[in-house]
Amino acid sequence: MTDRPLWELAADVRGGTLSPVELTEACLARIARLDARLRAFITVDAARAREAARERAAEARRGRIAGPLHGIPLAYKDLYAVRGLPCSAGTKLDQYFVAEREATAVSRLAAAGAITLGTLNLSELALGPFGDNAHRGDPQNPWRAGHVTGGSSSGSAVAVAAGLACAALGTDTGGSIRLPAAACGVVGLKPTYGRVSRAGVLPLAWSLDHVGPLARTVRDAALLLGLLAGPDPHDATASRRPVPDYVAALAVPVTGLRVGVPRNYYWDGVDDAVVEAVREAIALLGRLGARIGEIALPDPRVLVDVANVLARVESAAVHARLVREQPHALQPAVRARLEVGFRIGAVDYLQAARLRARLTRAFLPDVFGEVDVLAMPTIPEPAPTLEAVRAGTTAEVVRRMGRFSRLTRPWNALGLPALSVPCGFSPAGLPIGLQLVGRPFDEATVLRAGHAYEQAAGWWRRRPPLD
Amino acid sequence: MTDGADRPLAGDVADLLAAIERAAADLGLAEEPARFVAALEAGAPRDDEPGAAT
Repeated sequence: MTDRPLWELAADVRGGTLSPVELTEACLARIARLDARLRAFITVDAARAREAARERAAEARRGRIAGPLHGIPLAYKDLYAVRGLPCSAGTKLDQYFVAEREATAVSRLAAAGAITLGTLNLSELALGPFGDNAHRGDPQNPWRAGHVTGGSSSGSAVAVAAGLACAALGTDTGGSIRLPAAACGVVGLKPTYGRVSRAGVLPLAWSLDHVGPLARTVRDAALLLGLLAGPDPHDATASRRPVPDYVAALAVPVTGLRVGVPRNYYWDGVDDAVVEAVREAIALLGRLGARIGEIALPDPRVLVDVANVLARVESAAVHARLVREQPHALQPAVRARLEVGFRIGAVDYLQAARLRARLTRAFLPDVFGEVDVLAMPTIPEPAPTLEAVRAGTTAEVVRRMGRFSRLTRPWNALGLPALSVPCGFSPAGLPIGLQLVGRPFDEATVLRAGHAYEQAAGWWRRRPPLD
Repeated sequence: MTDGADRPLAGDVADLLAAIERAAADLGLAEEPARFVAALEAGAPRDDEPGAAT
């Protein structure tokens, strides 16, 4: 049951053929059976989940449906303020982040009827693209133990891939939703900057942070985005633009959709199996009626530099007290990345922010005058082993982190919507992700392309060998 | 970091800042960070396009 797409389960609950109690118990049983080895959760709130499930079941019997997620068990990266639960942010400290109120994203999904299972593991402070966490136990890739899950929303991807939760929320500052989605074989969506409120979510770098869903199917992600998006008085960066019906948009065929394949950067040094799978995925979009063409993009390396400066300075500011007062509580690579921020001056930081504005203004008409969607790999290689990503000096580990997130990071700098969809497996059986990027606030088109591909390719039906 | 093996990170930072300085050399005087959000809003689909609100 927990293998099925969220939208199907939600329809069954609304139709009275599935009880929220039965569904919640199925998730809790799976967590109890598998999570000691997968390490997806930091806190499981079984008692309150059961209580909420009983309430949702009673409401459903009376014909009272709270919303599209009535009785659906979800879980949240441990960076979100969730009422009644501690927020460690993946640090050693059980309660690192105390928010004024519950995260808006969590409240919106709860108002739509969702049940909270608990909070999910992550890279310490969301600073790390591999998803490992020495303090909280390394999440394991459900497809192959001993391999990384991708990060930083590692527990979110594992929980969805392993059927521990029907969907999850993550955050994405340089790829932290898309990288684990690709490495674990699930769908991950980073919306446009400002599309979803970040109120009540611990920042890493506020200029680059995005809130978004990880889910089993693109349709699930579209449903969740429709509930999450919109203005919020508690987040000044949340856009006031109207929210489209993202699920309805999936029905529009991709015939004539212009898909651009970058000629430069996004294929450099990418693993052969990844190149082959992503090229085949793009070819399938072509067979579905999309118009495929190559495009030369403005040099993404400047964007990566800009993102690195903004991320390093802002994260150092957010966590300055922790770095200065308890530096040895942090993992070495996390500490090293934070300390870089203290060495960057205010003028360099502001020049990076000004450059970002100019680069974005130039990129949009240049690129989206020619194409509707860009297609490329999400991760440059299938998930490596935990042992491999930790080998060497701290400096080597930090550089390896930069290489793993180099295909996702430019889209945080530009703030554009970016979706990762499963598109095959390596010879070792590890998932590969197709990344689709669209115009600002055009999640509808990105989701439409992802849905068309997903349904034609069918990879989403595969499940990791856990049972 | 004080670990000698991590010294190369300092070189990475210097390279990064040099790259930003080069790229920023011809920024217009009136360029400001807030124009990033304005660019996103201006680049969104029009109301009559498929991605627009329905």
